[in-house]
Amino acid sequence: MSRGRRRILVGCCAALALVGFWTFSTSFSSFISHGRFPSPPQVWEAARQIGGDGYADANLWQHALHSLRLVILGFLVAVAIGAPLGILMGASRRFDAFITPVFSLIRPIPPLAWIPLAILWLGLGDGAKIMVIFFAAFVPSVINSHAGVRAIEPHFLEASQVLGARGFTHIREVLVPGAMPMIFTGLRLSLQASWTTLVAAELVGALAGLGRVLNVAQQDIYPAMILVAMAAVALLGWATTRLLDVIESRAMPWLPARA
Amino acid sequence: MSTITFENVGRKFDSVVALEKVNLHVRDKEFVAIVGPSGCGKTTCLRMAAGLDFPSSGTVRVGTREVVAPGPDRAVVFQQFALFPWKSVYDNIDFGLRNKGVPSAERAHRIAAVLKVMNLEGYERSFPHQLSGGMQQRVAIARAYVLDPVVLLMDEPFGALDAQTRVLMQEELVRLARVNPRTVLFITHGVEEAVYLADRVAIMTRRPGCIKEIIDVKSLREAEHWNSLPRIEDVMDLESFVHLRTMIWKSLREEKVEERN
Amino acid sequence: MSARSSRRPSNLEIWALGIGGLIVFFGLWAGLSGFGLVPPRFLPSPAAVAERMFFLIDHPFAGATLPQHVLSSLGRYGLGFLLAAAIGVPLGLFMGWYGLLDDIVSPVFNALRFIAPIAWVPFAALWFGTGVGGPIMVIFAGAFPPCLINAYRGAKFVEPKFLEAAHTLGAGNLRIIVEVLLPASIPSIVSGLRVGAGLGWQSLVGAELIVASSGVGYMMVQGQSAVSTPTVLSGMIAIGIVGYCVDLGLREMEAFTRRRRGLV
Repeated sequence: MSRGRRRILVGCCAALALVGFWTFSTSFSSFISHGRFPSPPQVWEAARQIGGDGYADANLWQHALHSLRLVILGFLVAVAIGAPLGILMGASRRFDAFITPVFSLIRPIPPLAWIPLAILWLGLGDGAKIMVIFFAAFVPSVINSHAGVRAIEPHFLEASQVLGARGFTHIREVLVPGAMPMIFTGLRLSLQASWTTLVAAELVGALAGLGRVLNVAQQDIYPAMILVAMAAVALLGWATTRLLDVIESRAMPWLPARA
Repeated sequence: MSTITFENVGRKFDSVVALEKVNLHVRDKEFVAIVGPSGCGKTTCLRMAAGLDFPSSGTVRVGTREVVAPGPDRAVVFQQFALFPWKSVYDNIDFGLRNKGVPSAERAHRIAAVLKVMNLEGYERSFPHQLSGGMQQRVAIARAYVLDPVVLLMDEPFGALDAQTRVLMQEELVRLARVNPRTVLFITHGVEEAVYLADRVAIMTRRPGCIKEIIDVKSLREAEHWNSLPRIEDVMDLESFVHLRTMIWKSLREEKVEERN
Repeated sequence: MSARSSRRPSNLEIWALGIGGLIVFFGLWAGLSGFGLVPPRFLPSPAAVAERMFFLIDHPFAGATLPQHVLSSLGRYGLGFLLAAAIGVPLGLFMGWYGLLDDIVSPVFNALRFIAPIAWVPFAALWFGTGVGGPIMVIFAGAFPPCLINAYRGAKFVEPKFLEAAHTLGAGNLRIIVEVLLPASIPSIVSGLRVGAGLGWQSLVGAELIVASSGVGYMMVQGQSAVSTPTVLSGMIAIGIVGYCVDLGLREMEAFTRRRRGLV
């Protein structure tokens, strides 16, 4: 059979084997004790519970929505400030020289390291989460927008000058479209960072959200619920990334269609 | 008056002297080609006229004013076309006009005219990547022409095209120049291209470059009625053409030989 | 010429602007805190932070001095990262070579890799408590994917002509993997190590905030509980410095391998 179909077949077999091993070792033998890793039936139970009655003070949809709202808010604010900043830094060497040293101080600090400070400043509520998400999503946007502008081939910049484009026109009609592919790379990284940071921030302390579910489940020693929450996070992360991909393909109609 | 004047122009890059004592005067509505060995600095001369580069010594003037910055009055046609890939053909040509503040009705009119002259009708909505090399360069020329520039600066514009397309573009450029004469500074490697297109051909020495010789082609073209011959091959067959070409070739060869020594 | 001066800024200008930026930044910081515009609980003055940092270098807080916390963090980071590289790189290479292995591992890997490393923390807490295993597991989860993926890509996309040459010269599978695939993939592998190191460091910080009893992250959380902002900021600075140095070192290594290969 063809390579592609063999790949799918083997993949399915491997996945099935894994699930089988999982079920067997947790349910029918004491190879992995229940306290350590949940069995599939347990996971199903946990999913039903949180989907229906709820867990940690709300049901799955409410938690998910709460997390999703925070991510989108933090992400949008970060990109709305970060991408233009990066573009300006790419456009003006002087502006770049002014901002870069300060930015280099902020940049090496991992986003999660802002969590304690955020809690000190804004408590355990949503504000602190958004602040941390902001710092996480801000850096990749700036860096990639900056790089995107710098990556534009010089003859495009010269053509723009020769054709008399002044400041704002030059930025809007030449720099932004030219840097678009890399700007979107930055957006993707920012989104990823946003989700990671949100989960971490909610794990440390939160009143609602999927991270809180993880936290409470961990304290209750309820591994099946942990798994459900992890799956929910992964799913939401995947879905938002796909949405970004769709936006990206619409944003650049001039690119030759990919086969 | 749309003239270009290089007066004792010199250009140093760190310690390398690229140009030294370049003197050239391009008259109003004259087509001047600069030929020379690679790296001799001919592109640098064009960039200085465009305002994309500046002399270390001497002055570059367009008309009476010294060149201090790039602008649509000195339109440039680049070798790699430099068409904005994210703009359609129409928007590419429109860009310079909008920057000049031309009102929209007039813009539409001028673009339509130039599309017709350059045989680009029907391609307004296409994107550059959908066009062949020759068509893209036609758009680039259109984009420069539509601005009604004081001077037209062309930097090896046909260098990136295949041989057959190049020949066709040369013919088109001659047709265009006849219909819409303009001061042109044209940089090229190709001696035949230079002789076919130009009124005068300036030969540049190898680095440090300066103008070694200027050959007058126009008088010969008019005497022998090259313009009456529609096809480029017919012109290139003429004895006068061959003679000029060989003369320039020899002059260039000296530069190459000296370089190797 | 007037227009010419508005072109590229000179090195001196770049320097001056950079220093200017830093002055504005620290000036604002010192000003906001010094003039009481922002309460010290929120923004201690730069001097207060520096003072605290020096204090922590000698005096223990939350169980250890700052250098000791840093060392704990680095220790588990090193272990986690080494584990990720030691498993990820060979596995990636073999997956790039043996299609069957690729088919088996890839689907599982692709399903798991989107789970943010931090999401493994609850399980880490469950399995290891606040022991050293927890952070190591989370670091592993962060550093493993780039190490694997880059080794895999390096092996899979080796230029076919190298493999053909090796075959015609009679090399067996193992020899090809070790003497052709591995060296040819080194630039990609080193790149992956660098990304993995960065992600691992980030994961470490996250893990230490929750499941550790020592380390810089733990120190910061304790500082936050004690409402000691200078402590928290000191921790952030220390983390930033260490992270930067690690990345610098790996960047040098990356540049070195590229130079040796003539890829630059």
